[in-house]
Amino acid sequence: MENSSSKSSGSENPSMEISFQRLSPSAAESQAKLSCPTSEGDDPPEPAGYSSSPSSLSDSVSVIHPLPPVKGGDVIAFKMDDIDAMFSDLLGEMDLLTQSLGVDTAPPESQSSSNTEINFSIGFTDFNESLNELEDNDLDALMADLMADISATEEKLALGDSSRPDPLPEPMGLPPPPSLPQDYGLPTSPGNTSGPRALAPSQAALPIPPAPASQPPAPPQACESLLPEEVEAQAKADKIKLALEKLKEAKVKKLVIKVVMNDGSSKTLMVDERQTVRDVLDNLFEKTHCDCGVDWCLYETNPELQIERGFEDHENLVEPLSAWTRDSENQILFLKRIDKYAIFKNPQNFYLWKRDTKSLKDMKEKDKEMLLEENFCGSSIIVPDMEGPLYLKEDGKRAWKQRYFLLRASGIYYVPKGKSKTSRDLACFVQFDNVNVYYGKEYKHKYKAPSEFCFVLKHPQIQKESQYIKYLSCEDNWTMTLWVTGIRIAKYGMMLYDNYKEAMKKAAVSSLWSNRTITNSSTPPTPSKASSQPNGHAPQPPVQMPTAATASSEAWAETKGHGNTSSLPPLPPSEDFLPPPPPDPVMPLPPPPPDSVLPPPP
Amino acid sequence: MAAWDLSVAVEELGPEAPPLSVSVTSDLHIGGVILKVVEKTEISRDWSDHALWWEQKQQWLLSPAWTLDKCGIHADARLTFTPQHKPLRLGLPNGVTLKLRACFSGPAFRTVMGICRVLNIRHPEELSLLRPVEEKKKKKDKETAEEVYDLTGVPLTSVSIPSLYNGMPAHFADSPQTEAVYKMLSITQPAPAPENITKMYRPASVVDKAHIHSRWLDSSRSLLQQGVQENDRLWLRFKYYSFYDLEPKYDAVRLTQLYEQARWAVLLEDIDCTEEEMMLFGALQYHINKVSQSEPQGMTSCPAMDDLDSALQCLEVKMDGETSSMDMLETMTTAPELHDYLKIFRPKRLTLKGYKQYWFTFKDTSISYYKSKEEGFGEPIQQMNLKGCEVAPDVNVAGQKFCIKLLIPAPEGMNEVYLRCENEKQYSQWMAACRLASKGKNLADSSFPTEVQNIQAFLTMQCPNPKSQSAQADDSINTHSLVSPRYQKKYKAKQLTPRILEAYQNVAQLSLTDAILRFLQIWQALPDFGVSYFVVRFKGSRKDEVLGIANNRLIRIDLGVGDVVKTWRYNNMRQWNVNWDIKQVAIEFDGNVNIAFSCVTANCKIVHEYIGGYIFMSTRSREQSDTLNEDLFHKLTGGHDAL
Repeated sequence: MENSSSKSSGSENPSMEISFQRLSPSAAESQAKLSCPTSEGDDPPEPAGYSSSPSSLSDSVSVIHPLPPVKGGDVIAFKMDDIDAMFSDLLGEMDLLTQSLGVDTAPPESQSSSNTEINFSIGFTDFNESLNELEDNDLDALMADLMADISATEEKLALGDSSRPDPLPEPMGLPPPPSLPQDYGLPTSPGNTSGPRALAPSQAALPIPPAPASQPPAPPQACESLLPEEVEAQAKADKIKLALEKLKEAKVKKLVIKVVMNDGSSKTLMVDERQTVRDVLDNLFEKTHCDCGVDWCLYETNPELQIERGFEDHENLVEPLSAWTRDSENQILFLKRIDKYAIFKNPQNFYLWKRDTKSLKDMKEKDKEMLLEENFCGSSIIVPDMEGPLYLKEDGKRAWKQRYFLLRASGIYYVPKGKSKTSRDLACFVQFDNVNVYYGKEYKHKYKAPSEFCFVLKHPQIQKESQYIKYLSCEDNWTMTLWVTGIRIAKYGMMLYDNYKEAMKKAAVSSLWSNRTITNSSTPPTPSKASSQPNGHAPQPPVQMPTAATASSEAWAETKGHGNTSSLPPLPPSEDFLPPPPPDPVMPLPPPPPDSVLPPPP
Repeated sequence: MAAWDLSVAVEELGPEAPPLSVSVTSDLHIGGVILKVVEKTEISRDWSDHALWWEQKQQWLLSPAWTLDKCGIHADARLTFTPQHKPLRLGLPNGVTLKLRACFSGPAFRTVMGICRVLNIRHPEELSLLRPVEEKKKKKDKETAEEVYDLTGVPLTSVSIPSLYNGMPAHFADSPQTEAVYKMLSITQPAPAPENITKMYRPASVVDKAHIHSRWLDSSRSLLQQGVQENDRLWLRFKYYSFYDLEPKYDAVRLTQLYEQARWAVLLEDIDCTEEEMMLFGALQYHINKVSQSEPQGMTSCPAMDDLDSALQCLEVKMDGETSSMDMLETMTTAPELHDYLKIFRPKRLTLKGYKQYWFTFKDTSISYYKSKEEGFGEPIQQMNLKGCEVAPDVNVAGQKFCIKLLIPAPEGMNEVYLRCENEKQYSQWMAACRLASKGKNLADSSFPTEVQNIQAFLTMQCPNPKSQSAQADDSINTHSLVSPRYQKKYKAKQLTPRILEAYQNVAQLSLTDAILRFLQIWQALPDFGVSYFVVRFKGSRKDEVLGIANNRLIRIDLGVGDVVKTWRYNNMRQWNVNWDIKQVAIEFDGNVNIAFSCVTANCKIVHEYIGGYIFMSTRSREQSDTLNEDLFHKLTGGHDAL
């Protein structure tokens, strides 16, 4: 379809190119690379093979799946090339609009490059549709982001590489994102069409595409004694190198994700495969002006399996999202989870869980630190000595079977029938290399589980019911928290502690800022304070975070101490883990339908 | 003052010679006695290491200024004039016996410090000496040929920081013999023969383990005081499982010996582990063994070599910079591929289809297959992306079966696929490719060739007659020598190989040091790690129980069932006392918790020293000084007789 749209009138090509440059530096680079005269000799056959080979095609098909509008899909996944295609599409549309307004368009310039573009976009017919799905404020935000990215890069470039003969387009002077049709209330300024024409030649003449922000400066200039030819050769080599790096950069996979906030609203942002969850969280902190506490978490839900889990801060977000299926109803939530770093705030609850509640509650800070030091700062990470009876449902069977399980650094084990729980007798139940741990929701109803406190172990790529998923049911919520946290420690080890320290740093900085207005100069010494203190006082963000999130966190800590009839510290029902936003905390509202739906372009 | 005769035996005069008798007065100081004795021997030699030993009282007379009166020595005393440093046969953690001169006069703690200084082991406070388990006399005659390394020639200097020469402490560089000693110390020993593991003493129960801990020497008394004689055998072991500041750069010997101790603890079932953990230990041993043989200079890199290394690295970086564009081009364009005819089998429910042959292509991280080679350019019958999949070998070399079992994740679950290869070569290549792909790497990855080699090397281990593979002959270890006797019994070597190989794929890329560190990490993560056992009787209890002492806690264990009854942590500990008369240790914890126990298997000094020792170890991290606070150690571990 993109194919037809770009072929229908070659006139889009210039505007297409310019849009790339404005919208994403890497796209522009790949584009420029293709038309780059210096590198034409060694132009790798890669792009063509990349798109035509069945392997990569089917590969990308599995990744690229705009979601049907009804389901309120949250991830529009595509590689950089696809985003190019998407924008080119929109541009095409806009061109049609401008044409109809009687504005003349520039003649086609680089047919070859557009051809390769077309190849990339085969198979993604409903991009516009899905893009249209986004609310216009999402789109605005997304575009603003992209623009900011580019302008940052280009500013850097303008500063760093002043020797460039051709002046770069001034990004700030550019009109608003061209992909926004007029329906969205943004006027298409005449500059929109004049821009491309003015810039197209400079683009073509530009031998080197703009360097990305991370690009180190060109090699040292210590070659004054060199002959001119050598200098030239050197320059050429550098250019080739640069161009290749651009190409590599262009291969970076990117996703546009929709993150559902506490209040049911959502934010759309772009993540690339190099970004960690921490980066994305920081990004969201900036956008929401929330308190930046350590408990904020990106949370994955899978309604089909009724499971959910918090992403760890060090994970790359794109990878797990790539495993989502085309028709997935999965969501990413941005919320506070007390259990995310509870282990570091109250390590005694996990490492000394066998003790009575009272002694744990009175634990001194010093002793907590000591516990952390013992278990996380030695040459080896010590995993909490979790053990106890759990109900297991596995291998696709319906029945839940009770077994005695033990957690070790090397995996979860169970005591086989008639055996003792000495190490040598244990049978391995699962090792953690290839599985993640999830909370199971409402399994009493779904799978007739003995309790609602279930956790699930499965390969992250499994998205539907399968015999390879292992379901475990615990006696109570606290036991479940212990197990899930223990498994996370066994799986991630030191990484978890590093994540926490990083999050603490963030929280401390932001609380310092928010404390400036309040008369409280001391940085919070304890994590729990750091996370809860600033919340109430933080400048109220445009998207408001219900402060109930913190309230519930305290409630959680409180109830843990109270202790009722059972010897294990009781926990409030699982709902309390999630801040109680309207209407359903687990599955916030799907995004409201878009105000105006544009028909997909021909 | 009246002069009287003091009888002093001098070893140098020979065993038959009668003791010398020197005329002394009670106010003569020890130094004066020594002077008289030396004069009387009429032997001119260096007597500076000699001192007087009082046989009856079992004590050294080491203060030259003290008078005989002050020491309480009368005419009936029988003294011996003997060297303070005597040769000792030291059993090292790696099982090798090393003969060296050790101090017999100072507290054992200082003796260990001296030994560690010679051996170049940092943090000697973590080690101690213990009496070996008696070996059965019958075997003695056979073992006469045991290789003994000799370091007795090396003087026990008091240099605190040994200067380095050729990457080893200078005192090892004197002769080829001493260099060989250093090599033995700093390079891991080859895998032992399986029979040897079976033959060695293994503690069968907690009580057995408790008995081993009764053998530790008292750190506050001298070796001679504890009845250790010249040329006796003692074991040097890491006693406190709290290894401070392990630094591969300085700790070549320490790390190696620690690894050896851990390895033997695992092999001799001194510490319990699960089957999966044992396989991983086995894989790491195999890897460490292999790497240390192939690059023996790794651990003993000298400064000059370091320079060369860094120079080479520089060069590499430079080359890198020059060729990187080409490299990049390559990695982006021409990732190598594999093509071959293989057989595939997809077990599905209720279908009994066998293996079918197709033309297979391995590209990037995916396998595609086609009807035939000719159709290899068209649409594949199926394509499977192996990223995140589980790869397991299903191999029987004798039966010429080379299968790769793949569990490929998909949204609907895992797809089980078997690939059957024709021969070893094909198998190792495809297996290596599958492994890399499961980690998201393609064939362009630099580890591909080594991975192929590793798999081939492992296959030869399974080979019925390894001699036919002459090139790999030295590589072939019996996998039985990597696991404890329990698993030797449970599995045949050829059953063990694929299991170890499976674990091996996760560690095969580690460097020697990293592999050793990983081994230690897994060892330290075992639940029972670092617990020393003693049979005790708690006050008010009628039965024997087991007290476990670890680096952060005390554990009360039921002797019969083996369950942990109670745990006390040191940081709740207020104080502990020893009643030496009734041999009882009393400990007070926060919140008025008091416990007391008497020791059954070990002297209560050993228990006391263990607890005090761990308290001492925990003080190290806070005061960052490098000097060992010996006084504090003795204060914490010394008993009444140390005062």
